[in-house]
Amino acid sequence: MKTRVFSVILVCSAITFVAGQSPGDSSVITNVLALEHAWNQAEQRKDTRALDAIFDNALVYVDYDGSFRTKAEFLARVKSTTSHPEQEITESMTGHMFGSTVIVTGLYLTRGLENGKPYARRGRFVDTWTFRDGKWLCVASQATPILR
Amino acid sequence: MKWIFAFMVCTAVVFAQSAAEVEREHSRIIALENAWNQATQQKDSAALTMLLAPELVYVEYDGSLMGKAQYMASVQSPLVHPARIASESMTVHFYGDIAVVNGVYRESGAKDGKSYILRERFTDTWIHRNESWMCVASQSTLISH
Repeated sequence: MKTRVFSVILVCSAITFVAGQSPGDSSVITNVLALEHAWNQAEQRKDTRALDAIFDNALVYVDYDGSFRTKAEFLARVKSTTSHPEQEITESMTGHMFGSTVIVTGLYLTRGLENGKPYARRGRFVDTWTFRDGKWLCVASQATPILR
Repeated sequence: MKWIFAFMVCTAVVFAQSAAEVEREHSRIIALENAWNQATQQKDSAALTMLLAPELVYVEYDGSLMGKAQYMASVQSPLVHPARIASESMTVHFYGDIAVVNGVYRESGAKDGKSYILRERFTDTWIHRNESWMCVASQSTLISH
């Protein structure tokens, strides 16, 4: 419970902090990257409340296997009892700002248990964030395994 | 009463114009996606230059990351001969000056003398800049199920 509260506070703090910036401010990118880290923590803790605050309702999510998920489907998968992520790490993240849109690229590494079997996935992601109603929301996210 | 009626008519007109504008931009984006496929198949650098923003971030289905120059060089590779490229099931979401397109991409052809077939899910982000749309980010993932 404590971890969930912590995640919600972390996400809300990041959103509030970012909302206080002018969209033209270069520090916006740094703060959107903070939201990326908050996302990892929330996903690892299965904190769907925190994730709900990060995603736009029309989120377009493409998973590592090419499957498409809506926001509701993504949150349901996170909450699933058959999935137990133990480690969610992102690295080499870069943000590109286009007006009130930030595109983040980076590498991800996830480890855990799914249906009782261990998994480890490494890939590249692109997330699209837009500034809406005074906060930054992720509107699109896609993962691609690194094959070479 | 007349004022209320006039207000309702004006509101309806504004909504209709707005819906028509969204529909028009939606069609434009789909046309640009199809133009991109055609340009890739024909290895048309001039067309690709117009479609893609200089800051393009491109993630290939194998996870490799490319900028615009690298991507255009990969299209021009003499080792790759795409015979058929098509996108389907495309959806477009607008957020102010950006449009996010999601869909399924199919490509078949020959690479290094061997035939290939790719089926991928893609997400493209387009930005409205100087009265035209340019793609700033594109990513593909192989559909494995």
